[in-house]
Amino acid sequence: MEESPLHPFELHNYIPISLGGVDVSINKAVIMMWVVVGFISILMIMAGSARQLVPGKLQSLAEMLVDFIRGIILDTMGNDGMKYFPFIATLFLFILFCNWLGLIPGTYTVTSQIIVTGLFAGTVYTCSLILGFALHGLKFLGILVPPGTPGWMLPLMVPIEIISQLARPVSLAVRLFANMTAGHTILAVLFGMVVSLPLYVSWLPFAATLFVNTLEVCLIAPIQAYIFTILTCVYLGDAVTLHGHSEHAH
Amino acid sequence: MPQSQDPFYAGLGQAVRIGTELLASLIVGGGLGWVTDTYLLGTTPWGLVIGLTLGAAAGVRNAYRMAQRWPK
Repeated sequence: MEESPLHPFELHNYIPISLGGVDVSINKAVIMMWVVVGFISILMIMAGSARQLVPGKLQSLAEMLVDFIRGIILDTMGNDGMKYFPFIATLFLFILFCNWLGLIPGTYTVTSQIIVTGLFAGTVYTCSLILGFALHGLKFLGILVPPGTPGWMLPLMVPIEIISQLARPVSLAVRLFANMTAGHTILAVLFGMVVSLPLYVSWLPFAATLFVNTLEVCLIAPIQAYIFTILTCVYLGDAVTLHGHSEHAH
Repeated sequence: MPQSQDPFYAGLGQAVRIGTELLASLIVGGGLGWVTDTYLLGTTPWGLVIGLTLGAAAGVRNAYRMAQRWPK
């Protein structure tokens, strides 16, 4: 049986719903998002309910995750950034567990849909813009003029800065989407080989499948969530401090 | 889950980011130029040329800025 290596990304509508001509059907991705949200909620509530001084296994896992996010925020935004902890932690945990649970065979990787990652990136970027204008007013437009730019360079630098600002949500969305899609396509191709080759060679792609899956679980999935989170912090931090970013480099 | 200050992890995160950073600016610059050409001014091909040039410059600038905050 030949199957397209892109079949893991197909969405099947389980419950077709149409709202005024807009397709809002319950499909695989929607159910997977519910599963992820439920999983994280149960995990964190169970881990948080014990509150022991010497943490158990679940509690230390949750403490490790929270500490990790705290480290990212303190590194990039300093103490002021702790205000945004709930938002950033939610984003990180959701993306992390979407990536992880999506690697279980038979489930669906929500983050391999560019509409999902694009919406996340757009929300983050819009938030940083709103925050910047709320905190600094029109002075926030000064982010388009890098400090120390001579006046005659302005007609060149402002368009470049506008493009580099607009590229921020694009790079956030494309990076997460491309990494997840590429990883799952490789897995599908390798597994297609396992199915279609005779047994005496098919162990080879099978071993490669295991290797790539381990790589995805241990490295790609957490690191993509980490990058998304750290960039969210950097963009929010830029909006808060306005040009403070280059001096705060560590 | 390693610490976020782990130099290997942080460095890997930085390294993986730079490629997409270059690409995204090119997409945005080229896209803006193309839209100007096709729908707004009809100045084919100059919008695309200028847009791609500015996009490349913005991409290099973004990558440079990112390298400035390279974790020690």
